[in-house]
Amino acid sequence: MSTLEEAKRAVVEDFSMYDEWLDKYEYLIELGKNLEPYSEEDKTEDKLIKGCQSRVWLDSRIENGKLFFKADSDAIITKGIISLLIGVYSGRDPKEIAEDDFGFIGEIGLKENLSPTRANGLVSMIERIKELAKSSIVTDSQDVLTAEDAKELAALYDNVVLALKQVYDPEIPVNIYDLGLIYELVINKRHEAFIKMTFTAPTCPMADEVLAEVKKNVADVPGITACEVELTFDPPWDQSMLSEEARVDLGLDG
Amino acid sequence: MRIQDIREMFPALSERVYGKPLVYFDNAATAQRLKTVVDKTSRLALESNANIHRAVHKLASDATEEYESTRDAVREFINAGSREEIIFTSGTTASINLVAFSLGEILVQEGDEIIVSEEEHHSNIVPWQMLCQRKGAILKVLGVDDYGHLKVEDLDSLITPKTKVAAVTHISNVLGLVNPVKQIVNICHSKGCPVLIDGAQGIVHEKVDVRDLDCDFYAFSGHKIYAATGTGVLYGKKKWLDQMVPYQGGGEMISTVKFSGTTYAPLPGKFEAGTQNINAIPSLKPAIEFLKLLRDSELQEETRGVKEYMERSFASLRMTEELKVKTYGVPRGTETKIPLYSFTVEGAHHEDLALILDKMGIAVRSGQMCAEPIMDRFGVTGMVRVSLAPYNTVEEVDYFVKSLDKAISMLV
Repeated sequence: MSTLEEAKRAVVEDFSMYDEWLDKYEYLIELGKNLEPYSEEDKTEDKLIKGCQSRVWLDSRIENGKLFFKADSDAIITKGIISLLIGVYSGRDPKEIAEDDFGFIGEIGLKENLSPTRANGLVSMIERIKELAKSSIVTDSQDVLTAEDAKELAALYDNVVLALKQVYDPEIPVNIYDLGLIYELVINKRHEAFIKMTFTAPTCPMADEVLAEVKKNVADVPGITACEVELTFDPPWDQSMLSEEARVDLGLDG
Repeated sequence: MRIQDIREMFPALSERVYGKPLVYFDNAATAQRLKTVVDKTSRLALESNANIHRAVHKLASDATEEYESTRDAVREFINAGSREEIIFTSGTTASINLVAFSLGEILVQEGDEIIVSEEEHHSNIVPWQMLCQRKGAILKVLGVDDYGHLKVEDLDSLITPKTKVAAVTHISNVLGLVNPVKQIVNICHSKGCPVLIDGAQGIVHEKVDVRDLDCDFYAFSGHKIYAATGTGVLYGKKKWLDQMVPYQGGGEMISTVKFSGTTYAPLPGKFEAGTQNINAIPSLKPAIEFLKLLRDSELQEETRGVKEYMERSFASLRMTEELKVKTYGVPRGTETKIPLYSFTVEGAHHEDLALILDKMGIAVRSGQMCAEPIMDRFGVTGMVRVSLAPYNTVEEVDYFVKSLDKAISMLV
């Protein structure tokens, strides 16, 4: 199998053969038509990518540590684009995919030349591929845990939660943990922490500072080797996510 | 007057996209802008920019004169009874939201009903759903038959003593058929139910006389009649506007303000809170002048020719056996269809068709067109829509048909 760089270069070269956009479309349509079939029962809501005018489904599986994708779309040009992405990224190390910048898409002019709604769709497709790759890294490194590992991790989780409780939302006198802003906390066998969090509103002016503080506080916990923080607004935060303690602090109960 | 003369009034029409002449067939979404409209807004911004109604200086009185004379022009254009019945808004959506809130506040209670049709734009559905949520009222739907006609015969039995308002479109932005709104108003009024007409498409293609229609409200946007974006009109009968509560509070809509209580300005100011779109609203005047110009009989004959040519082209596309092109909104008898054609092609996704046409320089709309319920009604995820304006030519239609043919052959 070619390397990721080689695969990307091959796509860029293929595209450079066509001057006319209609020819590029012909090529994408051809790719779309030749995409491996995708079963109807896998066209479920969780595999559907939001943000596209047409419907796109993307599914993945891990085999021997490599991440494989399959996909489908009801629109053929979109199907060609997803086929092109799969052709480049399927069967690779999830870490390599998660760390890639997907910059070659710009080189073939796909992003600029597709309609804005389609460009959004393309961005969403890339996001989904990266998400799947990231979550595969985590599950992979967690695979085999000994009893010793579990014991160590339990203590680490407690300490990381304590560290998170030191971070406050600048607007509300409650720490971000009790506010319910932490959606996911995973510590793997190598003691790397992965945090998925949100803010009470997407427009929080202090967002960058808070994210940096979370990262620093967690990374400083003795035993933690690294910390990655990801911001998400899916689902959006609401008051039901407050902890009991926070509800009392804010006087929301009774 | 000929189509060519009209084209020269729109600078955008001589633009090229991807090196090809622009063919603009997305007029139902927004029409291209008249040169006179652009001149009006920029002259006001550059030379007469002042807030209206308040100050005593020259610029303010010029701006006020431009704004208020537009109200007279709109009143005359739709034959409203008085200038107080013309409220300026930011567009059809804002006009409908205003009514859904302000009329809803005085008329609608828990358990009451509101009627909309199945072919409404989201803008004439969601504000009423929000009202229903606020009040605990029920939204009822007047259906559409397989050919795209409103089932007006069902309306009579749909209305009950609990029905407080009906909101129906003059012309659907997907089907393009002119609805029998006068008949609808009659039926509703015979049962004591007021009617709002969504005129976003209607004002573009029909001669609207609100007193003849006898509708209670008529809402439309400026940008679809070649005026500036962010301009819109709500016509409302004085008897309703007088009773309705204000929609937004602020400057201009008040008579006196005390901390002990505020009294509101008389119509139309009561519904125009805050600084209005003072540079853009007056662009409705040149736009209305242009709409009147379109009544020229020589021009009407020529544009009718373009429309018929498009219809013949579609008919011949449909007749090709191996090709399954389906159009939606089929006129019957003497029914009028505006030059707006939504279609699907079996085996070719609407978005693919639109993307390929775009690369050929043709702007069409694809997707749900802000009318998801009617897409569901016809069991499709979306359609392609071509909508023509009087500046579109037979040559453009010809080029479109050839391009569509090529696009289909690429996809199917």
